[in-house]
Amino acid sequence: MIVAEGVQKSFQGRTILSDMSFGVKEGEIVGLLGPNGAGKTTTVRLLNGVIRPDAGTIRVGGLDPVTEGDPVRAMSGILTEGAGLYHEMSAVENLRFFAKLYGVKRADSRIHDLLRQFDLQAHRDKAVGQFSTGMKKRLGLAKALLHEPKLLFLDEPTNGLDPDGIREVMGYLKELNREFGTTILLCSHVLHQIEEVCTRYVFLDGGRVIEDGTLAEIEAKYLRTVTLRVETDLIVAGGQYAGYEAVRQEQAVEFALPSKDVIPGLLRQILQEASVYTAEIVNRDLETLYFQVRREHQ
Amino acid sequence: MKRSVIWAIAQKDMKMITSNLQIWLPMIILPLMLGVVLPTALLIALKSSDLSSVKGIETFLNVVNQLPSGALQDKFDTLPTTNHKLIYLLTNYTLAPIFLLIPVMVCSLVAANSFVGEKERRTLESLLFAPVTVKELFVAKVLAALLPALALTLATFLIYGVIVDALTYSLFGGLIFPNWNWVVLILWVVPAISLCTILISVLISARVKGFQEAQQLAGVIVLPVVALVVGQGTGLLFLTPLLMGVIGAVLYAVCAVVLPRIAKLNDRELLFERQVH
Repeated sequence: MIVAEGVQKSFQGRTILSDMSFGVKEGEIVGLLGPNGAGKTTTVRLLNGVIRPDAGTIRVGGLDPVTEGDPVRAMSGILTEGAGLYHEMSAVENLRFFAKLYGVKRADSRIHDLLRQFDLQAHRDKAVGQFSTGMKKRLGLAKALLHEPKLLFLDEPTNGLDPDGIREVMGYLKELNREFGTTILLCSHVLHQIEEVCTRYVFLDGGRVIEDGTLAEIEAKYLRTVTLRVETDLIVAGGQYAGYEAVRQEQAVEFALPSKDVIPGLLRQILQEASVYTAEIVNRDLETLYFQVRREHQ
Repeated sequence: MKRSVIWAIAQKDMKMITSNLQIWLPMIILPLMLGVVLPTALLIALKSSDLSSVKGIETFLNVVNQLPSGALQDKFDTLPTTNHKLIYLLTNYTLAPIFLLIPVMVCSLVAANSFVGEKERRTLESLLFAPVTVKELFVAKVLAALLPALALTLATFLIYGVIVDALTYSLFGGLIFPNWNWVVLILWVVPAISLCTILISVLISARVKGFQEAQQLAGVIVLPVVALVVGQGTGLLFLTPLLMGVIGAVLYAVCAVVLPRIAKLNDRELLFERQVH
């Protein structure tokens, strides 16, 4: 669906993307991750053909966004960071306006469905200027989905949403992907929120893709020490247990292990002398991996 | 070019005008004051006073008598009193530039707001991310300023006409308004000056940062019109239909010069990099 190869872009003498290559297959939900200024927003703009790359090739749905920008934009939906809605206009007026721009057929029933979907029916005639950030985000998402795009770009979709809102939006994206096979490219720097929805991640730093893969792939590559947190009444002395580093932390003990494979043996050994309530690897969440990847690429 | 898209944007912009006090208030007040209140007051005052006893009226009559012979001079010779002459001159000539001032003001207000406004509201990004060509966007923005300007000018013109004819009918025993000057003015010069103002405003808007700045710069266009008003008012410049035709043609020529410069802005990337962030 998306192919970017050797893409370079500088703006006012500052290099934003130095050599970016990555791909997104149809039906994937890919998280584009990186710190502020890594080039996430620039990437989305390039993919939509609103700015041109200095070098490299980009294909979106087989089309070149530079020369065939309008067809690319017609099949894509986008939620920009600022949502880009008209504050003087009501929710319904905004959606009607964008429905016309995107040539949506049977717009009224589509708008009605989306407003219900995003729980905005009660505010349909209220000026968007009076909306909370979360409501604006939801309306922005509804706007992005008006024309049932095959490809959805979301720039910081969870900014300004409360935990309930985040869960709802993420749940909706998953459903959208499952039901309609919508390909989603999601930019974010709040990692734990997107961990559940993304099928794959692209790590961007300093204008380059530094890592690319599924969580399992990245974990296999970067998780060299497994931190196992065991809730137990085991007595640990001298910071060591069974030859592994072990630190007592209130109810639990954290073990630093060379690999996952030693866990069953370790647990068996503990169980012979103490009780075990839970055991969990705590350093393989996206956030930990993200920092690990960035550390190793500095 | 997709008409439905152009119309959607233009319609949205025109609706927005009504929600911005900073824009619609001057748009209503100026035509009302200059096109309705001022002529009514002047006509009532002129009708009720004997002008031949007013000091300095000779100077005025001298100017009128020195007019080049032609339709206007012939017309003047048929008018019996100073009052008739003055009223005829006022309604048909002196106040005419008001109808240039109205479209210029409306156009510069709306056009300055339309691009810079999208930028300030951070909505231009949404438009550029939509499957809308930059050309469609420009045409929509031009229409959104042109249509209200023409409508408002025409409405003021009609009200002005009714007032003038109603107040002068008894005096002249017939309709003195409009003459050929007006036909050329409304149908040829007003669209020309409107288009010219819009194109220059769009050019300015694409280069400045804020609405206020855009409006101040657009004021440059209002100044020549003010000069024209002063010139006309002092009786130095009596526009004939031919001269009006020429002025209109010059304005269209200016449009033709400005248009290729705007076409250079017809680039999504350039527009995006200059206007978004």
